[in-house]
Amino acid sequence: MKAYTITRDNLGAWLDALARDYTLIAPVREEESVSLFKPVSGFAEINLGYTNSTVSPKGWLFPQTEEMFFFSTGGDQITLADAQTPGPAVLFGLRPCDIKGILALDPVFNGAYQDCYYQKRRQDTILVGLSCTRVERDCFCTSMGGGPTDGGGADLLLTEIDGGYGIEVLTPRGEKLVNRYQQYFDADRENRVIPAREELGKKLAGHFTRNVDTTGLKEFLDQHFELPYWGELARRCLGCGICTYICPTCHCFDIFDQSPDGESGVRSRCWDSCMFSHFTRMAGGHNPRPTQKERVRNRFLHKLKYHRDRYNLDGCVGCGRCVTRCPVNIDIRQIIADLQEVARHE
Amino acid sequence: MSELMKIQENLRETARKLLANGEASLVIGYALGSEVSRVVPAFISREDEVDRLVWNPLCINNLAKYLLDYRHEPGKVAVVVKGCDSRAIIRLLQDNQITREKVIILGIPCPGLINPDLVAARLDPGAQITVAAVSKQDFSLQTGEGTFTFTRDEALLKKCRDCEQHTPVIADFMLGEEIPPNDPGDPFVAVKTLEELPVEERSAYWDKQFSRCLRCYACRNVCPACTCRECVFDQAEPCWVAKANNLPENTAFHLIRAFHVAGRCVDCGECERVCPVNIPLSLLNRKILKDMKDLFNVPTPGTSLEELPPLGAFTKSDPDEFM
Ligand code: SF4
Ligand code: SF4
Ligand code: SF4
Ligand code: SF4
Repeated sequence: MKAYTITRDNLGAWLDALARDYTLIAPVREEESVSLFKPVSGFAEINLGYTNSTVSPKGWLFPQTEEMFFFSTGGDQITLADAQTPGPAVLFGLRPCDIKGILALDPVFNGAYQDCYYQKRRQDTILVGLSCTRVERDCFCTSMGGGPTDGGGADLLLTEIDGGYGIEVLTPRGEKLVNRYQQYFDADRENRVIPAREELGKKLAGHFTRNVDTTGLKEFLDQHFELPYWGELARRCLGCGICTYICPTCHCFDIFDQSPDGESGVRSRCWDSCMFSHFTRMAGGHNPRPTQKERVRNRFLHKLKYHRDRYNLDGCVGCGRCVTRCPVNIDIRQIIADLQEVARHE
Repeated sequence: MSELMKIQENLRETARKLLANGEASLVIGYALGSEVSRVVPAFISREDEVDRLVWNPLCINNLAKYLLDYRHEPGKVAVVVKGCDSRAIIRLLQDNQITREKVIILGIPCPGLINPDLVAARLDPGAQITVAAVSKQDFSLQTGEGTFTFTRDEALLKKCRDCEQHTPVIADFMLGEEIPPNDPGDPFVAVKTLEELPVEERSAYWDKQFSRCLRCYACRNVCPACTCRECVFDQAEPCWVAKANNLPENTAFHLIRAFHVAGRCVDCGECERVCPVNIPLSLLNRKILKDMKDLFNVPTPGTSLEELPPLGAFTKSDPDEFM
């Protein structure tokens, strides 16, 4: 794999150029302790020192609200028109867990079933990863098969090194991007980028405050759908959308029309959440997940079992967002530990 | 023993008795959470579990709304409330959401809580708080690794700086020494500052806040004034606010919610606490609180069982110039 280095000054110039030539989506410090991925017009707006953004960057590939098509009726005709799709984009500064989050979404939208909206955005978007320099207190990516300097899945991976950043080329698409802007990069002549990243990875590995062990858990859950544990856990859950909306791997959506005159309008889709009481409510009022117990169980089974059943991938990448933000401390790391305990007593 | 630890003992003893003699079928309180800086709402129905109950300066959640989950079940539910939370009990009683006979109110005079972020920053997340104390000057938390003190100035939770009633306004058991209400100063300073801005700047301020709202509805779900069986924001037909997440719809959501809780918001601060993207919701609700005080000269909703919410009560002397 090829590697390059870039000075801090050149990184700024490169990002300014990227913002000119592409739609550039990067982490922005929005408020005290809130950072979000947003379109930016240049380096000055970007906050590279962020640890986990408050909401995951999945929203660029799978927007919270996405127009699908416009419709209009007249006589006995219905006319459809495509919604606008964004062109080439660079999603910059992705943390390794969020890259893995995208890899967990790929088989959902881009596997046996091809979702044209996701697919188009995914195809048009270059992913540039950024190794972590700090481990947040709720991070546990190493327990979920990832790591703070593990950029697999991105096109390029940046790592902070002495005097600037190292850049590893991970795909041909990444290579093309580097070639297009080669004036900003220097070849990694002394081969220091990869060792520096590995060194950083080793150092950070010791900074995780909590590790979890999912060994055997899926197999236990395969056999135990009903557990009193879910009912106990669900008592305190608010049934809000925080955990699912900020999660990099949650992907449920709802489809709705907006038509002020009833004749023409737009069909859109928007994020939905299995934690909402009306998520599974059917026309006629029947709800197959009638209480928060079934909803909480669904969420955790999706993370720990269903995603693995379907795609042989973990449904949780250990980013820790839901741990940090859940107002009632429903902490997936604790739940994994509790379930292991329940399994031991079965 | 610190006053906090005395209260904790008292709480456990009271809970034990209530469960033992069958007076309560469930006690809702706080237990230690998954990290040192967190506590969790705990639901205790067995005597041998009462020692999980804790009282320390991290007990922030308002537990009153959980009463709704048990209102149709037989048996009484006991719930732990602080001063601010106790207003929510009155709120729920006045709205006939709960019946007085079915709840047992365990009141805790609360000297103020600590900002959990500071605790998280200083203490090992895996540690457990064994002893806690609060004085006029500081908080002190003891774990297996030692005693950590935080000055009140740096660490007092924002909402506690404006606390009106440290001692619950309603309780069946008062678990500690009453703390006289202090003069919190003017709770509307931030509202007034915002009111003074030119309208364009105020509008830009709220646009920036509302545009990042996720519409996760955590603020609504946690709110003791939000108790509708079917919420307007969940109705598909008619569709009052579209599911689309954009500034106009988000603004509609926030303004409708603020007006729906007008005169009923008890200023517990929960909505602002739970918001994952730090939208300053208390500023919005306090603006209405301030207007209510100016217009009707009423105390903060939930302060007294006798004082009905001005927008929910009728008197013959109400002005009716619009009729
Ligand atoms: S687990 Fe927490 S964040 Fe998720 S729905 Fe329940 S209360 Fe909300
Ligand atoms: S479940 Fe929680 S920790 Fe896991 S990927 Fe989703 S937000 Fe991150
Ligand atoms: S909690 Fe915050 S993000 Fe969620 S709906 Fe309320 S204001 Fe919006
Ligand atoms: S609006 Fe906010 S502060 Fe007011 S009662 Fe509801 S949660 Fe509490």
